[in-house]
Formats: sequence, structure tokens, C-alpha cells
Amino acid sequence: MSTPIVGLIMGVIFGTSLVLTGLTNPDKIIGALRLKDFYAIRTVAVFLLVAMLGTWILDLFGAANFNIKPAVILTVLIGGAFLGTGLGLTGFSPATGLASAASGRIDALITVIGMIFGAHVYILIYPSIVVPLEKVLNFGSLTLPQITGSSAASWVVPIFAAGSFALFITRSRKPRDDEQRIKAGDLGMNEEFPDPLSPIPIPRQKGLYLKSDCLKAASVFRRWKNLLFMVMLLCLLLHQASFWLVSTGQVEITENTNPETPVVLGADSLQADQSGNSEKGNAGLTDQAAAPAEESRNLMLFGFDVTFELLTSIVRITNIILVLTSVLYALIMYFGLGISFKGGLGGLAHICGALYMALIIFVLLLPWQNFFGPIAMGATYTPNELVSWCTTDISDTLGMVLFYLRFTGYWALVMLLLLLAQLRSFRWARAIIR
Amino acid sequence: MEESNSQLRHPAPHRRTGNSENGNAGLTGRTHPLPWWAAGILLGLVQVLAIALVKPMGVSKQFVVADARVLERVAPEYSENHPLLSNEQNKKFGYGWWFNIGIVLGAFLAALHLRAWKVRTVSAWWQRNHDAPVLLRLIAGFCGGVLLLLGAGLAHGCITGQFISGWTQLSLSAIPFTITLFGFGMLVAYLVYPKAPSRFRREE
Repeated sequence: MSTPIVGLIMGVIFGTSLVLTGLTNPDKIIGALRLKDFYAIRTVAVFLLVAMLGTWILDLFGAANFNIKPAVILTVLIGGAFLGTGLGLTGFSPATGLASAASGRIDALITVIGMIFGAHVYILIYPSIVVPLEKVLNFGSLTLPQITGSSAASWVVPIFAAGSFALFITRSRKPRDDEQRIKAGDLGMNEEFPDPLSPIPIPRQKGLYLKSDCLKAASVFRRWKNLLFMVMLLCLLLHQASFWLVSTGQVEITENTNPETPVVLGADSLQADQSGNSEKGNAGLTDQAAAPAEESRNLMLFGFDVTFELLTSIVRITNIILVLTSVLYALIMYFGLGISFKGGLGGLAHICGALYMALIIFVLLLPWQNFFGPIAMGATYTPNELVSWCTTDISDTLGMVLFYLRFTGYWALVMLLLLLAQLRSFRWARAIIR
Repeated sequence: MEESNSQLRHPAPHRRTGNSENGNAGLTGRTHPLPWWAAGILLGLVQVLAIALVKPMGVSKQFVVADARVLERVAPEYSENHPLLSNEQNKKFGYGWWFNIGIVLGAFLAALHLRAWKVRTVSAWWQRNHDAPVLLRLIAGFCGGVLLLLGAGLAHGCITGQFISGWTQLSLSAIPFTITLFGFGMLVAYLVYPKAPSRFRREE
């Protein structure tokens, strides 16, 4: 896949995201090195954590292409020192220098020219200086898990957890400038925030107390809304992942269900379903005990093997959580609407749209197939349904399309709606907090 | 009531310029287009995509490749006996080269799109710390560039290739690299930029 066109596309994506993230701004880098501006530090920390986690997950599926640099400690130390000096002097790294030059910085352009000269110097000194140096303390391409003899998980998971926790607890609790100004105006402390550009009228209405109260309430709602969104997102992803694991045959279906029963059941079949399931689950367990050879074909993930029983329980739990959180999500939107209406905070159009979408999500998520059979379907599926779909032979194209539409297309629709709802409500939050 | 509402909601419309590079905001280094977590997740996903498709990202090696190509034309004899230049890997413009061109292209397009494309020569920190800004800044930039690529060559990778990709793959070489990179980076930044621009002082 290492064709030029892939390289070009990846480069375009990387360059675009460098500009979007503002790391091309040398002030951000210098501010970070001087420990005055933590934006770049936090960004790079998140960058590392996400990339580390993603690479580890890719590696679990065997899809990661590693390129581990040799650990020549001495030259790496010297090189790091040179790079650090260059970084501290200019505020550009090679990548951001390129991107920054492309966005019009003359100094970055000069830095890039300097880099070409630097490459030349490196080539000139390579035979006489670098080659002997590289023989000192050369450990070869080693990774930390290889040295300690532990699995990559024991490195990635603690680092990710600790890093995210540190980032989370050190996040800025300071309200944004605009929020501060509103608060300042409200408490009559306008003198402390003199801002000639935007004179805030000193408020005299009592309505402002109500307004600031509503603002606080709205920010509480916003926080809970974001939490619920994250939960729903996680559940949806788990749901979809378990579908893919089963449908691609990574996980053996061990339950011996008969494929006719599950979908077309009456409204009161939920409990029957559950009890039937548990029996079947037991049957599956005994099956496995009888045939341990089958167990070894299961997928190993995160250190323990993923059995079909585990997946069914995951699907059931995520079903419950999804339906409940979608109700709460819609309710929070509703209360947010009420608050911004009562307090005159604005952003009504956004929150109305978000409320509507949250309601649609709720309606789509309900397991309608349990009430109406195949007439109407919800985005959530029960394990039995999954088994029945996966075990029936689908040979024609239409059947395949229907199959993926039901499990993935429907899911994608809900996902899209969820993201849209979150986007709308984010706009609402931004509109009222500004 | 209504009027004060609207003013509260939009306290300063003329300051909400959307991105940092507009107007004189480039000299104050004030805002950034994305919040830090979104920025980090975006970059992280780019790296994951790169690892899934080809290999971890790296930028600096292509400078050596470009130089090697030039030297091959100019001094073929020298480059044949050179241990680095005679390596076939350093002679062809492959994925990495187009990756760098893509960075330039993508950054250019993104800057145009954000209306952040603007010719600038100094940064806010430089402006604050040095009276004779432009020429000195360019000279410093050049020296910094030489050091950057020299360091990248010695360390087998620049900040993207060694620091980011190194930690991403948990390679051993990332640890000493990180130590000296940030040690020297902070030291030099402290020496070169001792004074912070106004937004970090309690004036505003």
C-alpha cells in the first residue's frame, strides 16, 4: 500500500490536521516549552494516548505495520538535544515547519531551507562521525514490552488510563472569558475586568440573577448530556463490534437455538426470551465443556477469550443501557429547552433540533421487533435475533443487502442521528454560554 | 432587557473572529481552531490510519532523500562510496516523499480554507523578546532548521518520527529522545524567550 498516492493523501490529511489543531503556530510550541500555554502539551498528550491505544488495538487484530527505530542510545540522546535546541529556537518541528511554511510563514520557510542544509550536514558528517557513534550503546530495534517481557497491554492500558486521568483532572475549570464577563457583570465587579473592546453594560435588572442561575443549570445539563452521549456512543460501538465479531465468524455461535422462534414473538415474550436464553446459555456452557477443542477457536482479546456467551451478555446489557440512556438523553434535551426558554438564553433552534433528533433516536432504538415481529424493527437486536440471522443461509444479493442494512445500516443511521443531535446541542451550549 | 440580552449573548462580535490567524490575532497567539482534546484525537486517528495503511508517520528522512538525489547528480562518485547515500532506500521518492508533499498541500489548503493564509515573519514570543525582529528571526530560523535536521538524522527520526511514532509503538529509543528533546527544548526556549507575551501576564 505504500504507493505515492496513499502517501499524498495521508500527507494532506496530516497537514490539514496540523493546521486545524494550531500546532503550526510557533507561539503554541514556545508557550508549551516555557510552560505558559498548555494547549500544545495537552494536544500532543492526547495525540500520543489515542495513537498508542489505536495502534495497540490494530496490533490485536494484526493490522499494524510497525517501524521501530533502532535504539542507539547515544546518538538518540545527541539528536534529541539538537532537535530540542532547534525546537526551542524556532518553535517549529520538521512537520509543523513544513505545514507552517505552507500557511504563509516566511520564518518557517527559512527554517525548511535550513533543514535542507541540515540534511546536507548530516550526510557530510555521516561516514566520519555518525557511523562510529552508532556503534556505541546500540540495542537494536527494541520495544518496551520486549524488554520487560510483558505484553503490550500491560504498558498501553496503564499509560492510557493514567494519562487520561491526569488530563481529566487537570482540565481547565476556569470558565471561559465570556462566561467570566457575564458573571462579573452580574456581581458588579466590572472594574476587575476592564475590557475596552467590549464594554459590558452594568446590569441593573433582577432578571439577570435568574439568567445566571439558568446558565449554571444549563452547564450542568450540558455536562450530563455529554456524559450520556459518551455512554451511548460506547454502547453503540460495542453493539456493532459484537455484530461484526459474530457475523464474520470470529466468534463461534455456541448456542443451539432454533432459528425460527426468536423474531416473531408476541409482546409478552421478553421474559420468555430471557429465561429461554439462560437455559440455552447453560446448554452452550455444557456444550463447551464437552468439546474443549471448540473453545480454542475463540478470539483472544484483551487477555481473555471472547465467547459467544460474553457477547450475548454484552449485547443484552448494551441494549438496556442504550434504551435507558436514550430516554435520559431526550429528557435532558427537553429540560435544556425549558431552561433556555425560561432564562431567555437563546439557542432555541439548536436545542429544538437536538431534542427532535434525540426523540427519533429513542424511537429507533426501541426493540420494536419484540412487539410487532418482522413488521417493524428497532436498531437494537437481541442475541437470538443475531443468531437467527447469522445461521440462516443467505445466498442472494438482496438478502445480503438486507442483512447488512438491518445490522449495520440501521446502526449507522442511529449513529449519524446521535452525532447530529450532539452537534446541534453543542451549538446550543455554545450559543448560550457565549 | 432584550437589548442587554443580545449584548450578553454576543459580548463582542468583532472579537469572535473564528481563528487565530485573522487580523492581528496572529501576533497575540490567542485562540486555536480546535479544543485540545479534539485536536489530539484527530491527530491520533491520523497516526492510527497511517499505521494501519503503511507505517508510522515520519517527516525528516525525506530531506535526506532529497539531498541524496541531488548529490547523486552532482557528485556521483562521492555518493557511491557513501554508506548512507549508496543505500537504495535513500534514493527513491516513494511514500514518504509524497507524504511530505501532501503535508505542504494539505496545510496550504487548510490555511486557505480557514482564511489563515497570511505572510508573517515573526511570532508573538519573538516580538516580545527581541527588538530587531525580522532578520534575526530568519537567521535563528535557519540555524534552528539546520539543528533540527541534524538532530533528526542522528536520532533516526524527527519529532513526528521518533517522539510520536516512538511512543506510539512503545519503542525503547523514545525514552532518551524525549528526555533530551524536552530538556534542551525548555532550556533553549527559556534562554531565547525569557519574557512572556502580554496575554500570559495579568494585564488583560
